Amino acid sequence: MFLEIKQIKKAFGQGDSRVEVLRGINLSLKKGEFCVLLGPSGSGKSTLLNIIGGIDSADSGEIVIDGEPMSHMKEKQLTMYRRKHLGYIFQMYNLIPNLTVRENIEVGAYLSDKALDVDELLRLLGLWEHRGKVPSQLSGGQQQRTAIGRAVVKNPDILLCDEPTGALDYKTSKEILKLIEQVNKTYGNTIIMVTHNDAIKFMADTVVRLRDGAIRDTVRNERRVSAEELEW
Amino acid sequence: MKRNPLNNRFLRDLRDDLGKYVVIALLMIFTIGFVSGFLVADGSMVRAYNESFTKYNVEDGNFRIQRRMNKAQWKSIEGLGLYLYELFYREFELDNGSTLRVYQNRDQVDLVCLMEGEFPKKPGEIAIDRMYAENNGLKVGDTIRAAAAGDEEPKPGESWQITGLVALSDYSTMFSDNNDTMFDALGFGVAVVTPEEFAQYPEDTLYFNYAWKYADPPKTEAEENDRGEDLVKDLSKEIRLENYIPRYANQAIRFAGEDMGSDRAMMELLLYIMMVIIAFVFGVTISNTISQEAPVIGTLRAMGFTKGELVRHYMAMPLIVTLLSALVGNILGYTVLKNVCAGMYYNSYSLTKYVTVWNADAFVRTTVFPIVIMAVVTWGVLRWSLGLTPLQFLRRQLRRRQMKRAFPLSVRIPFFDRFRMRVIAQNLPNYLILLVGIFFANILLIFGLALPQALDHYQEVVENNLLSKHQYIMQIPLDAMDEDHKLVSAFRMMEFVSETETENETAEKFSAYVLRTPTDSPYHKEDVMVYGVQAGSRYVSGVPASEGFMQKGSAAETYPEVLISKAYSDKYDVFAGDRIELQEKYGEERYTFLVKGVYDYQASICVFMEQKALNKCFDLGKDYFSGYFSDTPITDIDVKYIGSQINLESLTKVSRQLKISMGSMMYLVDFFAVAIFMVLIYILSKIIIEKNAQSISMAKILGYTGGEIGKLYIRSTTVVYLVCFVATIPAVSALIRYLMKVMIRLEMTGWIELYVGNKVYVQMLALGVLSYAVVAFFEYRKINKVPMDEALKNTE
Repeated sequence: MFLEIKQIKKAFGQGDSRVEVLRGINLSLKKGEFCVLLGPSGSGKSTLLNIIGGIDSADSGEIVIDGEPMSHMKEKQLTMYRRKHLGYIFQMYNLIPNLTVRENIEVGAYLSDKALDVDELLRLLGLWEHRGKVPSQLSGGQQQRTAIGRAVVKNPDILLCDEPTGALDYKTSKEILKLIEQVNKTYGNTIIMVTHNDAIKFMADTVVRLRDGAIRDTVRNERRVSAEELEW
Repeated sequence: MKRNPLNNRFLRDLRDDLGKYVVIALLMIFTIGFVSGFLVADGSMVRAYNESFTKYNVEDGNFRIQRRMNKAQWKSIEGLGLYLYELFYREFELDNGSTLRVYQNRDQVDLVCLMEGEFPKKPGEIAIDRMYAENNGLKVGDTIRAAAAGDEEPKPGESWQITGLVALSDYSTMFSDNNDTMFDALGFGVAVVTPEEFAQYPEDTLYFNYAWKYADPPKTEAEENDRGEDLVKDLSKEIRLENYIPRYANQAIRFAGEDMGSDRAMMELLLYIMMVIIAFVFGVTISNTISQEAPVIGTLRAMGFTKGELVRHYMAMPLIVTLLSALVGNILGYTVLKNVCAGMYYNSYSLTKYVTVWNADAFVRTTVFPIVIMAVVTWGVLRWSLGLTPLQFLRRQLRRRQMKRAFPLSVRIPFFDRFRMRVIAQNLPNYLILLVGIFFANILLIFGLALPQALDHYQEVVENNLLSKHQYIMQIPLDAMDEDHKLVSAFRMMEFVSETETENETAEKFSAYVLRTPTDSPYHKEDVMVYGVQAGSRYVSGVPASEGFMQKGSAAETYPEVLISKAYSDKYDVFAGDRIELQEKYGEERYTFLVKGVYDYQASICVFMEQKALNKCFDLGKDYFSGYFSDTPITDIDVKYIGSQINLESLTKVSRQLKISMGSMMYLVDFFAVAIFMVLIYILSKIIIEKNAQSISMAKILGYTGGEIGKLYIRSTTVVYLVCFVATIPAVSALIRYLMKVMIRLEMTGWIELYVGNKVYVQMLALGVLSYAVVAFFEYRKINKVPMDEALKNTE
């Protein structure tokens, strides 16, 4: 397995106010697999994503990526791990306001030794015409596409998407999902996407449903539905 | 190596936040430029000054005798391993009230540097000291007249046409007397005339001064001191010395060199303080940027940017701005400001010409040091600010200790006031920087404003506080103390005693003896005049009775009781009940006195005791006296018996000179203080407005007017500013007085209290408020410009 998540536990607070956010999560994903984490607010899906992404730590358990365990990693090693393996897409685009679209994507490319061709990616993302604009000149969808470009250009092993369509309208959301699907197919990245949107589960290889910090069920889709076909 | 795309932000940051960077850069450019100019001028002038010793063949010392030396004496003295040179002079009282010491032009020793015009070529022509000329409004082509000429047509030797302005290498500082506390370039000057004119001066009007150079020059300062001390003994065997000044003790030669060194340390300190303040201002702006860009930083960290990379990224702009400011500052320093700074020295000292020399040390101090200070401070701020986890940045959890809930405020407090309190609470770290900045700025401001006024106040106090309007110190003729010819000397002494009696009814005799502060004192050594005043004196009252001391016998058995001047008390913190120890001026013997009180006299560092006790203490004889206190001029004593007069003019020499030499510097200090105020307020209120842009925008949408919003956000800063401003004044006032006291103790003789009058506080407040008002005006405009859609953007 490319990604192995073993018995991950995480709690916040102490005493009476202690809340167990993750209660022993186990999950294995193959390289290139598209996994959707579903669940209501507070189910622990974002926390799990952040732990996989090395920006939050588990109280116990282990995550192994490509045979490399994360638990013993210090801050610096975790940074290098993120740099080497991960791409991040958030609900908010968090673009650098005074860099152009192209430059925002180059920020991602700078971190990777195996970066994709920026021009090619700009075309793939439909941003070629907008490459010289700064984020404030873009629509929400264009900004999210730029954020995707920034994450993907590193050609990361794993692409972590935290509610990437959460702030977008239906049409733009579908465009973004198509893009993520296309990236997955083109570059073969493993994708883990956190979402509230139940419809998105159909485009995944694996659907993990969380509730109260535990996996309620894991479903492996026989056939992935293309983003184009999704309705909600 | 890949180019970091984040670097593309620098120019855009600069463009987007031009106001901030320009304001900070200007402050740095002026600070660095001024200090660089100062260090370059100082370095070049110190070098020129040091080289002048060789270039102008400056003497190793000089002495004065009453009569022209005969050939045998000359030969005998040169036999001590010296080369002797005649350096005779004559002093003229000019009709402008000043004294001009005139030499014949020199061609062997203490050569003269021509600064402007030409040397005199014939009798009736004169080249006068450049600084004396400037201070007295004289220029080449003008005519100066001796006061003796009166209103009549001046006789030869009473009037001269100025042909040139010069600097005499043995008078870089205008000390007319080496014992003076301070030089006086207004009331005293030096000049050279042709040998032909000088030869016409009557012998009895001349001062027979001789300069010497060692045939085998001493190699170290210690050796120079030893030889100087030995030489005075050897010379005394050959001739009767009226005055003896080896070069190392000659204030007219040494003072400028020493002062230039001490100014340098002060300027460097100013630079470092300013840089630390500016670095903290940058630190605050960086913190604000980090707070604004928190989600971006979180994303970058999540993507794999290291903390170090981000620290370097955010450090870059401050360092680039510092580097550019340092370069521009240095260019200004080497060109324009160097001349301003050199001008400050030329205002104080009569220095020879200098050539600007490249000063690597100055460059390092004004470029590398500011960059290092900036790097250290911003690095510290950034390491702290960026020490949070990526997740904390993404969630905008930027406080290490999260506020659990808003601090409670009574609803009875009007809404606007409560709002302002919360704005203040929100910006406490920024206001802390404001407090520190205001503190430093106030130090500069109070110094710049108070010093000129303190000098005026000093003059006023001295004027109202004179012991007597005139003090005459008698000069005993040398032949009255000639032990080889006792009969003649006894006759001369009798003659002296009878000739120095006066019928002036206001005159009162006193004795005086000059001691000095002990050689092992940690402070600057200085002479202390011990006055012996008559019991029941009309001029100095309350002097302790001497009976106890007189009855006990020698000074070894008991300590004489004395009053000390208020200047003495204030300078050295000596009070009634303390003991003071003083030392013979030219010897090792020490005297201890018991202080019985402080006499309200600020003009000099002196001690008062009863005349009888003084005469006994120093073994001067029962009837000995040194001079007169008098409220009216004494006209019935021959001037040849009057060694010196102490009057208002001589006592205020220090303050007058300080005012001339430091006047322009004080304006500069005020300028820096005001600049700091304005920069700090501008940057900090800008940050507050930016931080609250969304709230301001929302308030506008709700219907608040620009004025009302200004009241909420600007008035908070106004309140804090005024509180900080007023609150720091007592501390700053105490600190500056303390620093001044330390500086005067370590660097100067005499005492001038840094009097801070109410006028200074009023001026400070006016300048502070005015600086603030200017900035606040622009900030109000800025608030008006915050667009209403700001509230609708970037909502997360």
